[in-house]
Amino acid sequence: MPSYTLTINNEKKVISANPDTPLLWVLRDILDLTGTKFSCGIGSCGACTVHYKGNPVRSCTLTVATALEGNITTIEGLSADGTQPIQQAWKDLDVSQCGYCQSGQIMAATALLSKNPKPTENDINTAMAGIICRCGTYTRIRKAIQLAASKSEE
Amino acid sequence: MKSTLDRRTFIKLTASASGALVAGVCFQSCTTDKLPATVYGFSPLIKIDTDGWTTLIAKNPEIGQGIKTALPIILAEELGADWEKTKVVQGDYDEIYEEQWAGGSYAIILNWDLMRTAGAKVRQVLIEAAAKKMNHPANELSTRNSRVIHIKSGDSLPFEELITEASKIPLPETVEFKPIDSFEIVGKNIPQVDLDQDVRGTTKYSIDVKLPEMVYATVLKNPVFDGGVSSWDDSITRTVDGVLDIFELDNKAYGGRLIGPNSPNFVNGIAVIANSTWAAFKGAEKLNVVWDNAGSRMESTEGIFERFHSQLTSTSIERKDGNVVTAKRKAASIFEAVYELPFLAHLTMEPMNCTVDFRADLCEVWAPTQNPKALQEGLIKLFGLKPEQIKIHLPRIGGAFGRRYYVDYAMDAAVLSKKMGKPVKLTWTREEDIKHDWYRPASVHKMTASLNAAGMVTGWQHILANASRKTSLGREGNPAGTEIDSYEFPGGFVPNLQFEYGHVLSDVPLGQWRAVGHSATAFAVHSFLDELAILNNTDPIDYFLKFLGPARMVPVVDDYEFDLKRLITVIEKVRQISNWETRLHEGQGRGFAASKHSGSYIAEVVTVHMDKNDKVRILRVDAVVDCGIVINRSGAEAQVVGGILEGLCAALYGEITIADGATVQSNFHDYRWMQLDEVPDIHIEFVKNDLPPRGLGEPPLPPAAPALANAIFAATGQRIRKLPIIKQL
Repeated sequence: MPSYTLTINNEKKVISANPDTPLLWVLRDILDLTGTKFSCGIGSCGACTVHYKGNPVRSCTLTVATALEGNITTIEGLSADGTQPIQQAWKDLDVSQCGYCQSGQIMAATALLSKNPKPTENDINTAMAGIICRCGTYTRIRKAIQLAASKSEE
Repeated sequence: MKSTLDRRTFIKLTASASGALVAGVCFQSCTTDKLPATVYGFSPLIKIDTDGWTTLIAKNPEIGQGIKTALPIILAEELGADWEKTKVVQGDYDEIYEEQWAGGSYAIILNWDLMRTAGAKVRQVLIEAAAKKMNHPANELSTRNSRVIHIKSGDSLPFEELITEASKIPLPETVEFKPIDSFEIVGKNIPQVDLDQDVRGTTKYSIDVKLPEMVYATVLKNPVFDGGVSSWDDSITRTVDGVLDIFELDNKAYGGRLIGPNSPNFVNGIAVIANSTWAAFKGAEKLNVVWDNAGSRMESTEGIFERFHSQLTSTSIERKDGNVVTAKRKAASIFEAVYELPFLAHLTMEPMNCTVDFRADLCEVWAPTQNPKALQEGLIKLFGLKPEQIKIHLPRIGGAFGRRYYVDYAMDAAVLSKKMGKPVKLTWTREEDIKHDWYRPASVHKMTASLNAAGMVTGWQHILANASRKTSLGREGNPAGTEIDSYEFPGGFVPNLQFEYGHVLSDVPLGQWRAVGHSATAFAVHSFLDELAILNNTDPIDYFLKFLGPARMVPVVDDYEFDLKRLITVIEKVRQISNWETRLHEGQGRGFAASKHSGSYIAEVVTVHMDKNDKVRILRVDAVVDCGIVINRSGAEAQVVGGILEGLCAALYGEITIADGATVQSNFHDYRWMQLDEVPDIHIEFVKNDLPPRGLGEPPLPPAAPALANAIFAATGQRIRKLPIIKQL
């Protein structure tokens, strides 16, 4: 089994895995970073979203062998204390229900605001497309993104 | 579900009225030798620490409905605890807790008195202890912010200084509840207790469990319902790096497909054990299995619906009031319509999974289950275990919606852990999850109304034909139950009324789905009422109010009544907040529906816009809810929004189809779910009153589909009589 050096949450991690192993399973089974969730396995629900080189990617379809060039940020690496502005807005608005899709939602939302601090409604729609919430927390997700964006203006 | 719910509540209240306070039963027994005081302080649910913090046990499975926050709120309220100085801990499955399950919108209803009693009795003990220490009479003392206070003098003592004295005092026999108008926590916006860990990704679901020596597993099940394994070739699977072992899962060796009258066992297939989830998935993909489908009906959606339609003329009568035949003969006109609803899947975001550590002395389970008691019963049946040899942990659960009422996936994991002699984490792929769901039954509804010269209903006949969840896979029960029950609306409202049920047997596994039978019947009933209003050139809300008649208590069946004043109130209020009377733009329309479910009354108005390509856009939803006392305003609103969105989404897109005896859909790409950009503006109001709290997980869902279909009619003149809507436009 080949060995790979990944940069995860700004730390170098050396792991052994088959080259076709999706990053999702490296994070979850090998590195115990279980905040990134498995749900569909085919990149169609967004629950496994992480940042790779600053962009939101579906970690269930990105193999370990193709994720070696840049930093990977997971939900655990967003902040030490849960106070990153999106996380804070999520708490202010009590967004979570079952919670299972929330790390994917938060990773997509943080990637959006890092590139586009004042997103329009349409920007939010585009950035959050394909990230499914079965409980229907969408209305609070939209408000939380807007709240975080408004606070960054202050 | 309406009547069963109210009946159960009634039984419990009767028991309490007769002197043996129901809520006290559990907590009295807990003060005896069954639960030593050292285990959990004064009550199995409340622990007061010397550091001033109070720990509250959340006993019910948390599936996203907010119960892990709501039940402790009730405890803290009656106790007089400072919410900011409480910690909430999830309880494992334990029979001392009672009613430890999630389903049917029951959790608040069944636990309201239990939680109040537990909190109040501990408060009474603390006050008695404080009376001795403070030299004030107990009847002048109260609790607030985790202190016992004497308002007249301003004296107070914190709970933690009363622990020694209080632990000598037995819990009182009679409970004294706080007056509802003195509540300080109940009814506020309280964030979910796990919110901080949710946003940091540190919440642990059962899919996140990791144990020493643990191996990983997945399953490949026969996609044809209830089929078996004929033979298999695993030679390629065994070459996959990380694969450790391969087993056939044959339920015949474990008591067959049904292990109790109502509890299904695991589905037949092949299990792959590996040193990682990914290796197990890859290994399963490489299996070459010849399935045994000799016993299958090899059904298709078309064939199933043909049988439903034929069964409309061969039915059992489930309710008969007056005489619908005479009503038809005397009618000025008769109106008929037939509605069709599809099978639906659950698609919980967390797929089926379970971790089991099956040791010689103890079978320890981490399960995403709504129904831990059924899980325990399944393990007893399969392995001959005693209850004390089973430990069930209840981690957070990534959605349930009724799917996790059944424990088939947990039986898989237990069998595999026993075979391996090691802890096993089983994870189903999404494909297995969709293909081996317990679907919401499809159904056909033939509605017939006899109308008088004024266009009002004098006779009502509702014939429902389908394959019933009650008899799915040979389970026992009245097949009409939860499909069309005697207490279905508008039973009790029309003098000549008949409900009939046409029973079809099918291989499709059927089960609970949010709002159960009401998720289907409400669509037929409230679409039909809208059609009658249009037929009479009457505003649909006006017509419905006229149909209901004056505010009164309407006896539906036995002990189940309908408080019409409460329904009329939510209807009038939703008419107002939705601006129902104002004109809309061309291509837009509003639709209305209102119902009672799980004791709660709810009225909804949906506003849609149809573009030139007949693409529907939902602009706005207004809902007014009377669920009695609201426990947590924020959590309650989340349930209403979630229920409405699920109802709308299922009506628009939801459909499981069957071909060659198996489910066609396989993942989110072919079972569409609503996305952020489709979500309308949602306006919700709660009626404020002091009535006992009722269910909220399910009630918002049933009116959403008919309100949407009625809005599409208002916008386009096209009547939707068959779901999903997207296939009709």
